Amino acid sequence: MAASTPATQMITLTTNDGVDMTIERQVAERSILIKNLLEDVGETGEAIPIPNVSEPVMRKVIEWCEQHKKDPPASNDDDSDSRKKSTDIDEWDQKFMQVDQEMLFEIILAANYLDIKALLDVGCKTVANMIKGKSPEEIRKTFNIQNDFTPEEEDQIRRENEWAEE
Amino acid sequence: MAGNAQQYTASRTAGNMPPMPAKDDAEATWNFLQLGVQKIMTDLKEGMDMKTYMGLYTAIHNFCTAQKAVGGGAGGFGAANNRGGAHLLGEELYNKLIDYLKNHLAGVRDQSKQHVDEALLTFYIKEWKRYTTAGMYNNHLFRYLNRHWVKREMDEGKKNIYDIYTLHLVRWKEDMFGATHKSVMDSVLRLVEKQRNGETIEHSQVKSIVDSFVSLGLDEGDSTRSTLDVYRQYFEIPFLAATKKYYQEESRSFNAENSVVEYMKKAEARLDEEKERVSLYLLAEITNPLMKTCEEALIKDHSNMLRDEFQVLLDNERQEDLGRMYKLLARIPDGLDPLRTRFEAHVRKAGLAAVEKVAAEGDNLEPKVYVEALLDVHTQYQDLVNKAFNGESEFVRSLDNACREFVNRNKVCKSGSTRSPELLAKYTDTLLKKSSTKMTEEDNMEKQLSQIMTIFKYIEDKDVFQKFYSRNLAKRLVQTTSASDDAETSMISKLKEACGFEYTNKLQRMFQDMQISKDLNTAFKDWQSENLDAADQKNAVDATYNILGTGFWPLNPPTTAFAPPHTIVKTYERFAAFYANKHSGRKLTWLWQLCKGEIRANYIKSQGKMPYTFQVSTFQMAILLLFNDAETVTYEEMEEATKLNKENLDASLGVFLKAKVLNVSPAGAKPEKGTSYTLNYDFKNKKVKVNLNIAVKSEQKQEVEDTHKTIEEDRKLLMQSAIVRIMKSRKKMKHQQLVGETIAQIKSRFSPKVPDIKKCIDILLEKEYLERLEGDELGYLA
Repeated sequence: MAASTPATQMITLTTNDGVDMTIERQVAERSILIKNLLEDVGETGEAIPIPNVSEPVMRKVIEWCEQHKKDPPASNDDDSDSRKKSTDIDEWDQKFMQVDQEMLFEIILAANYLDIKALLDVGCKTVANMIKGKSPEEIRKTFNIQNDFTPEEEDQIRRENEWAEE
Repeated sequence: MAGNAQQYTASRTAGNMPPMPAKDDAEATWNFLQLGVQKIMTDLKEGMDMKTYMGLYTAIHNFCTAQKAVGGGAGGFGAANNRGGAHLLGEELYNKLIDYLKNHLAGVRDQSKQHVDEALLTFYIKEWKRYTTAGMYNNHLFRYLNRHWVKREMDEGKKNIYDIYTLHLVRWKEDMFGATHKSVMDSVLRLVEKQRNGETIEHSQVKSIVDSFVSLGLDEGDSTRSTLDVYRQYFEIPFLAATKKYYQEESRSFNAENSVVEYMKKAEARLDEEKERVSLYLLAEITNPLMKTCEEALIKDHSNMLRDEFQVLLDNERQEDLGRMYKLLARIPDGLDPLRTRFEAHVRKAGLAAVEKVAAEGDNLEPKVYVEALLDVHTQYQDLVNKAFNGESEFVRSLDNACREFVNRNKVCKSGSTRSPELLAKYTDTLLKKSSTKMTEEDNMEKQLSQIMTIFKYIEDKDVFQKFYSRNLAKRLVQTTSASDDAETSMISKLKEACGFEYTNKLQRMFQDMQISKDLNTAFKDWQSENLDAADQKNAVDATYNILGTGFWPLNPPTTAFAPPHTIVKTYERFAAFYANKHSGRKLTWLWQLCKGEIRANYIKSQGKMPYTFQVSTFQMAILLLFNDAETVTYEEMEEATKLNKENLDASLGVFLKAKVLNVSPAGAKPEKGTSYTLNYDFKNKKVKVNLNIAVKSEQKQEVEDTHKTIEEDRKLLMQSAIVRIMKSRKKMKHQQLVGETIAQIKSRFSPKVPDIKKCIDILLEKEYLERLEGDELGYLA
């Protein structure tokens, strides 16, 4: 998938299940972790071990990075309110996120680990959209969560949050 | 499930690192990290492989994401075990790092004690560079901590929590800087002193120290911002103090052995040097305080000594040194004021001395000599102001004050300030008059006229200049002795520019009259050739006429009765008729005393066998024409025929006798009753044309007196009209106020005296233009 032209600098990532993936440096640098690493250690030609990400997840992440490689570089603490508040997700990303729940969470974890803020945001927004408009029971069902509240606890929380109900 | 993956990784990153620690064991995680941090701190130049880098990052990540006391989340995300807000992990690592840094810096600090001076600087800079590089490295490795735990702590407003890089700086400041800044700074200062003493030093060392001090300026409120506080307190203040001390001592010892001029050169060089120093290795922000410190030590502390030298330099015309002094003293507040005062006094003295020198001539003082004496002084000091004092406006003002003073009040003007404008006007007249030594070059004339304006600007009695100037202009126009119309126009426009339309109004009207007269003469000639018969035309005297408006020309009617010679009567009466026909109702007054003519003496021949032509006044013409009818004419007969009074008749005859045109009997007699005259047939002169129309000295003197008299009268009128103008607009005014306002209005023409204004007010009260009101007030009566 990494269309390599001789001019573009390529780097290799090794996933925790031992698969090497060679991609454009520009794509890899969507990850601030990798970007900093390349800056600090320098380009040695050595493969970069990614101890916390497995091959299938890495493929998904790289797919996303490919798509977004031309985006403006994420500034270190980009907390622009608009992006934070809205749950809008652009079309490509929505499609991209149509994966099973396990994969979705793996992507989120990987984005967090690799420090790819925009991807982390997209993942979290997707989860947020899954919660939006659902009752607690529905949410429990969606995420397979056991209700460990006692009825008294639950009643109390419901009363405390009455204002949020319609 | 995430946990499984991590355990798997641990074995892969083992390389030269110990195995990945258990993610929830703080002690083990730190021990693992410490090895890496140690390498980064002390041995980074060996480089770091990617496995180690990723291992360290991952260990931190894993520690921070470890769920303690896992509550048995089944699949997916697991259950949030910390109800009531997520608890973020990382504090232990943060504190361990602090301990590590403290410990590391204690070692560095101890080592630093072994060094002094340049060696200390080298050591400090080396350690600083290594430390900050490591700090940046650590900042990246601990980025996961930065992004989550540190961010949360800071968002919650916790004090003394910083991102990892800032933490490094904070530790340096606390554990290293606090104990070493003084000796480091002392070394810096010794180094700079060495350089000031002329040795070569390694600039980059100072520069690095400056940069490191600046880096430590952390904003307590906002760690992303930095301030210059640390730099100011620990670098700038001691640096300035040392600078001050250095230059105080240097200037003291230098002055003990060198002249003031040498000192100025030294100070100038030192100031340039310090400025240079800033760009070499200091922070631009220090420029102003540094220059101020140097200026104080080098200039302000010695300003009295410098100022005392000022007079000496002026006396010796040391333009370059004066310029140097100006530049130095201009740098300190109020440095120049005393110079200006001295400069003004000096110029005034120089002006007065120059006038004193030429005043020895007394009444015979040539206007040219006087004006040039004034100009020389002005030119000299204007040049000084421009070259040494940068043309600074305050010095220009001092120069102007001084010039105004010596132009209006000097030995020549002892009797009154009107002497200056009078002489200036006379000088202008000689320039604008046709003369044998003619200046042909236009710009030379232009230059001289500009010089006149330079002096004119300082003249207080501008009305006196106006009077004399207009008289002289009238004479130049009537006698057609003006050198060039262009020069005349140029001069008038210069005066207009300086004093306004009103000042030159009459002068311009005089010019216009001359032009109109020219046209009129042409018209008259045409009229004559059309209307006169041949005989009349043959007998007509060829004449030109100037019609001068009474109000504009400073000319008086003749002081004597006069019967014009009958030869010209017909001619001028014809013109009078022509003029009356053209402009009915206008009255022509003949100003005989200004008329002149040429007559040919057919009775004697010059050497070239040509009859002589005499240029004469009309009065003289009337006398000479009498000899057409008689060989001998007695004084009484002349009186009878010409009706001239004694004064004019005697003067005219005097010229004839002196020029030997007439012989008097008894020989050698003065013109008076009882004398008689014959033509001198032996008259000889080199020129064919002989000018006998010569003004007599006494006449000129009379004129000057007349002019002064009219000035006095004009001034009274000027003051009165100013008073009336003011009162008309104000209706009511206190006496004192009115006097003040009048002075203000008239100042541009002359400096009125208060008693004179009071006299004028009295006159106006008498004439009932004004009335006295309650108290000290005056009222206007329409």
